[in-house]
Amino acid sequence: MSASSPAVPDPADAALRGPSARERRARVWQMVQLAPIMAVLVLLFGGALVLAVLQSLGFAPWFGVNTFPDFGYFGALWGSSTFWVSLGLTLYYATVSTAIALVFGVLLALALVKIFPGKTFYKYLYKLPLMIPYTVGIALAVLMLSNGGMLSRLAAFAGLIDDPAQFPQILKTHYGWGIIAVYVWKQTPFITLAVYAVLLGIGRETEEAAAILGANRRTIFFRVTLPQILPGVVSSTLICFAFNVGAFEAPFILGGGFPDTLPVVAWRYFNDADYTLQLQGMATVVSIGLVAGVILFGYLAAYRRFERRMGRN
Amino acid sequence: MTQVQLKAVRKQFGNFVAIENIDLEIASGELVALLGPSGCGKTTTLRMIAGLEQPSSGAILFDGRDVSEQPVQDRNVGMVFQRYALFPHMTVEKNVAFGPSVRGVPRAELAARLDEILDVVQLSDFRHRFPAQLSGGQMQRVAIARTLITKPSVLMMDEPLANLDTKLRGEMRRFIRDLQQRFGITTIFVTHDQVEAMELADRVAVIFNGHLAQYDTPDRLYRQPASLDVADFMGASNIVPGLLTSDDLAKTGVGEIRVAPRRTFSAGDKVQVMLRSEAIDLMTEQPATGGVPGKIVARDFFGASVSYSVDCGEHRINVSEQARRLVDVGAPVWLDIAPERVWLLRN
Ligand SMILES: Nc1ncnc2c1ncn2[C@@H]1O[C@H](COP(=O)(O)OP(=O)(O)OP(=O)(O)O)[C@@H](O)[C@H]1O
Ligand SMILES: [Mg+2]
Repeated sequence: MSASSPAVPDPADAALRGPSARERRARVWQMVQLAPIMAVLVLLFGGALVLAVLQSLGFAPWFGVNTFPDFGYFGALWGSSTFWVSLGLTLYYATVSTAIALVFGVLLALALVKIFPGKTFYKYLYKLPLMIPYTVGIALAVLMLSNGGMLSRLAAFAGLIDDPAQFPQILKTHYGWGIIAVYVWKQTPFITLAVYAVLLGIGRETEEAAAILGANRRTIFFRVTLPQILPGVVSSTLICFAFNVGAFEAPFILGGGFPDTLPVVAWRYFNDADYTLQLQGMATVVSIGLVAGVILFGYLAAYRRFERRMGRN
Repeated sequence: MTQVQLKAVRKQFGNFVAIENIDLEIASGELVALLGPSGCGKTTTLRMIAGLEQPSSGAILFDGRDVSEQPVQDRNVGMVFQRYALFPHMTVEKNVAFGPSVRGVPRAELAARLDEILDVVQLSDFRHRFPAQLSGGQMQRVAIARTLITKPSVLMMDEPLANLDTKLRGEMRRFIRDLQQRFGITTIFVTHDQVEAMELADRVAVIFNGHLAQYDTPDRLYRQPASLDVADFMGASNIVPGLLTSDDLAKTGVGEIRVAPRRTFSAGDKVQVMLRSEAIDLMTEQPATGGVPGKIVARDFFGASVSYSVDCGEHRINVSEQARRLVDVGAPVWLDIAPERVWLLRN
């Protein structure tokens, strides 16, 4: 650049020169700051993922198997009709329990922003399931809901049925009421927590403005509140759904048996005496990952489109 | 148009009394300001009129009809919130159309009303923007348009000008007054700025600590405040203690001041004498009668006006006048004030 160049830098000039030394340094510093989390992600998560995919494609020399690349495991899996039933059950439990937990969670969060006597107590109480492990929840479900459990005994005691054994089967059916109950019990507080935080952030003024403009409670919820709490709804249901698709204990203990949900199917393969079935198990795991990934990606993409429409970037 | 009346309205939050027995009558089509320091209960009063808050006791009447039990949706009031409370997920157009659309106004009529009101608030070019993409003044106009389109019978505005810069504030002030006159809506607005209240309102209700201190026209509020607190809040600068030696003469630290006789005061009363700085005549020659001597100790020049600090007996008196002449600091002067411009207050 000549000495007589104008004092005001030309933006086109800057673009030609590329990033300045300072910008480059800032970028490197950003990378350095990100390095620890990236290392954890790549090593733990990425590494395991690559290994799982490789195994499911027939690469397992440590079992004396190496037919890479071999799509036979996926072929066998996807070719059997029970896989699709299992997939359907998995998605059914995950979707229904997430949906129910969402409705409960939002209702609870809406109630919590109101003022009522004993609110402080309720605010502690509803979080209780968050701190109790799933296995305890499952044990509770068995205690409460099974034939011979608390509910059936109470029903018999009250004379609704003659014998606890006559109590309708809740657990161990393919309707999965037990599984759904445990998920809902555990995840409602989580969704409540997320939505309540967002509700506190948006405040009550827009709802009040809507009421003054003549909207009834239903309209206010669907047209004013819901669109504003959507970030909380989407992130919390995303997490719950992803967990529910991959969860193992609840369907294993409370489910209806064969055909099992996909995580249970995978577990059975892994636990088989014939360790070459591990590869079949890996194909199952990768399938779960694929399905969950596609669904979650679609969900997020739909939400992004909505956000764009609202003018957020 | 609607006449609004508050009858012995009281509001309590737990043990805290926010509003203490307020009586207020707002005539149909009147523009009234609620004026008071922060936390005195202005917003609470508005919210009770709107129906967002229930009075603990007392009644609120629209055209003589008790609306205390009527839900917000049915009161047909409009409220512009202090922070606008626009719907962040809707465009300007959708925000403004919200009221009529939930009230089931037919599409064609809605479109016509929308165009008209966006024109009034000069936001037609911004109709597809989201609130986050607007300036403070534009957001406020959206909030006003969103309220006006529902044709409220009572319009309420909570500190409508608080978040605006000086220039925009002046513009919006004019805009609000024009609108109010054009539609003739009974309007109640909240402010803690006494200049704004006096400039805009037909009548001003001054509230201190949940009590209605005075409800009057701006000029009476300014010239004849009901109490020391009100005088202070209205920016009175020269208030000196004194003693009424006769019905029309007060002895003060400044000197003897002639006052207009008042029914509520009599000779021997201890009083506070209020001298509005612009009502005082400043003379450089001793007048034939009256006139208290003093000396100018400071001068503040504001261009169009000038303000002098005058040491006068035991007190320092503030005098302001139009800047047609400038009197030098240190000059001896005589102050005079017409007896009817002197206002007496009790301690
Ligand atoms: N929901 C509530 N619960 C308890 N106290 C409240 C509530 N709302 C208001 N108050 C109290 O009532 C008093 C009056 O509040 P209000 O909001 O009406 O004040 P304001 O005159 O509008 O003040 P500002 O000019 O600061 O907006 C305040 O002391 C406030 O703390
Ligand atoms: Mg307020």
